[in-house]
Amino acid sequence: MSPKEILNQLYQQGLLPDEQRQIIADVEARRPFSLHWELRSILYVGILFLSSGLGLLIYENYDNLGHLSILGGIGLLCISAYAYAWYVRPPWTPALTQSPSPFGDYALVLGCLLFLSVEGYAQYEYTIFGARYGLVTILPAVLFLGLAYRFDHRGVLGMGLTALMAWVGVTVRPLDLYLKTNFFDDRVIYSALALSGVVIGVAWLFQKQGIKPHFTFTYLLVIGNLLLVALLAGIFNVEKLRFLFAIGLAAACVAFDQYARREQSFLFGLMAAVYGYIGLSYLLYTYLHPDEYVFTFYLLISGGALVVYLLNAKSERAKE
Amino acid sequence: MKAYNPDHIRNRAIRQQADRWQREGLLRADQLMTIRQSYPVLFRESNVFAEIGAFLFTCVAVGGAYALVILLMNGLVDNSISFGAFNALVSLGLVVLIYTLIRRYNFYRNGPDNALIVLAASFLLTAVNVVLPNDTALWFRCLLAVPILLAFAVYYGDVIVTFITLLAFYVGLFTGLLEFPWGRAALPFVLMAVSWGLWFLLKQVRIRVPDPIYYTDVFNMAEWIALIVLAAGGNYFVVRELNGLLAEVVPGQPHPGVAPQIGLAWLFWILTFLIPGMYAYLCFTRKDRMFVILGILGLAAAASTVRYYHALLPLSVHITLVGIALIGGSVLVIRYLRQPRYGFTDVPDEESPRQFFLNAEVLSVISATGATMNQQPDMKFGGGDFGGAGAGKEY
Repeated sequence: MSPKEILNQLYQQGLLPDEQRQIIADVEARRPFSLHWELRSILYVGILFLSSGLGLLIYENYDNLGHLSILGGIGLLCISAYAYAWYVRPPWTPALTQSPSPFGDYALVLGCLLFLSVEGYAQYEYTIFGARYGLVTILPAVLFLGLAYRFDHRGVLGMGLTALMAWVGVTVRPLDLYLKTNFFDDRVIYSALALSGVVIGVAWLFQKQGIKPHFTFTYLLVIGNLLLVALLAGIFNVEKLRFLFAIGLAAACVAFDQYARREQSFLFGLMAAVYGYIGLSYLLYTYLHPDEYVFTFYLLISGGALVVYLLNAKSERAKE
Repeated sequence: MKAYNPDHIRNRAIRQQADRWQREGLLRADQLMTIRQSYPVLFRESNVFAEIGAFLFTCVAVGGAYALVILLMNGLVDNSISFGAFNALVSLGLVVLIYTLIRRYNFYRNGPDNALIVLAASFLLTAVNVVLPNDTALWFRCLLAVPILLAFAVYYGDVIVTFITLLAFYVGLFTGLLEFPWGRAALPFVLMAVSWGLWFLLKQVRIRVPDPIYYTDVFNMAEWIALIVLAAGGNYFVVRELNGLLAEVVPGQPHPGVAPQIGLAWLFWILTFLIPGMYAYLCFTRKDRMFVILGILGLAAAASTVRYYHALLPLSVHITLVGIALIGGSVLVIRYLRQPRYGFTDVPDEESPRQFFLNAEVLSVISATGATMNQQPDMKFGGGDFGGAGAGKEY
């Protein structure tokens, strides 16, 4: 149904006076077509291409170009990107801040991606950090987190959190799903749990203080998934502490569910439901050894129960 | 024949448009209230994430129930007639269940009904396919599935079923053509002609169908698919590589590593650029988001096709230059469109799913961060006290 048809119908129903109908028709006829997100997407893809192209270039062409010139060139580009972002920086406020320039946010992302390439190559070729490998990952983490707060950039916050995860030894690439994680190692599980505890605590504290409260969503999306995966990995792999991990998972799921209801962001409710369901099913299957009849019956009942739960979470809120 | 109340779907569209006008200050709040009262919508409201979850767990529940009944009725699977009848019965049961959900609980694409529609269609297809003799050709099975699926798509106006319908249609066409000796050569032309015809037909039906708004999603999905297949059917890379894959291996000769050159190569090179170019042109004249996206992606695919066969530069340099071109181009256009020009603007409108893009951006940079940190060779970088950044399994 086109806006024009709707307009005519409202007019015929006597819900709109004729003058207003003409004004709205005029606005609709002259409404320009927005290319905003298409252009932003192209810009974004361009940045990803440029940084990954340069990242490849370093390792491919060092014979004929010379290490230092490559490193210097990319470093210069990185500094210019940061400098531009700083030049058009938004004013610092604890609240949500819009960048005054349409390109500042993108320059910042480019700077950060190039920084990773430069740093990685400098360590690879010159071992500038020596054997202090932790430093290689904690440095971008600290830098990105600081930049994220200063420039109010949720993407850079996500990058910083990913670097933090790399620091504790977790390999995460969300677009490749979680299949490529290294969660078979006890130590990785404990580090991931400790990290998620600290980060969620800090995020909660910042939200209480009113410092960039809109960052909480990103924190919970990135670190929340880390926490839930780590708890699940604990249930799967750490047999002697399985009970503790199960309690932890249950508590985390309840907390996420409560948060989802309070903040009306149901993504977290879905996360709680899916991770909780996997954990519960695994535990039931491992300890009760159900036969196939009981197991299929369990699928029927539990699936149905979760559908009812998911759909009613909304209507409960509507009543309030 | 429509499963959902088409009046309420229309009312919902009117309400959404009125909401938008009110946000833009074109309607007063009291006018909006009157409009909302005049156009009631009784549908259940739900959150998109709750819907995704509900879809998922509906499939789990139905799958569990289905498996349980099969277990309880011993030997059901062995007889094809009885198994087919059982599947048809399950499908019928699900259709009744959807009917109840819609009529009694005001479901409208809230997840469970979407899942049940897809499942009901799948079980009916299973029933038909179980009963058919084992040696029935794939193309026949696919083309037989099309009217069944189409009935579901028309009755429910469901997008996923529409997608499966088109999939069945194209797979049927594809495998059917290969039955003929001239099929492989005619394949790209038939696919292009059929897609073009399908798109044209969709345009006509959209104008003439009594409740077009009931089928908005269905038509959009079908148009996307038709236009994508049309572009792919003319793309040199797709035609050449597919032709190479379909070529019969001559006994005693090793399979050629490179797909051989195709006949009429010049024609396909022209089509590789002509079809996406048409889309890009249409995006200027029609101001249609579908053509904008298809034009951009299509031209990108055309450029990649050239690069695939005639690589002038090493990959890293190529990617870098493409990146620079994309950044430069988009920056120029963004600056150019500060004022609306030729009916285009850079100001975001409400049509675009803002939140989705934000999340997609966060996800893609995280992925890029993860990838870059893993890129460094293991020798001096990985390992170490913390398991290192490059400790992933594949390294």
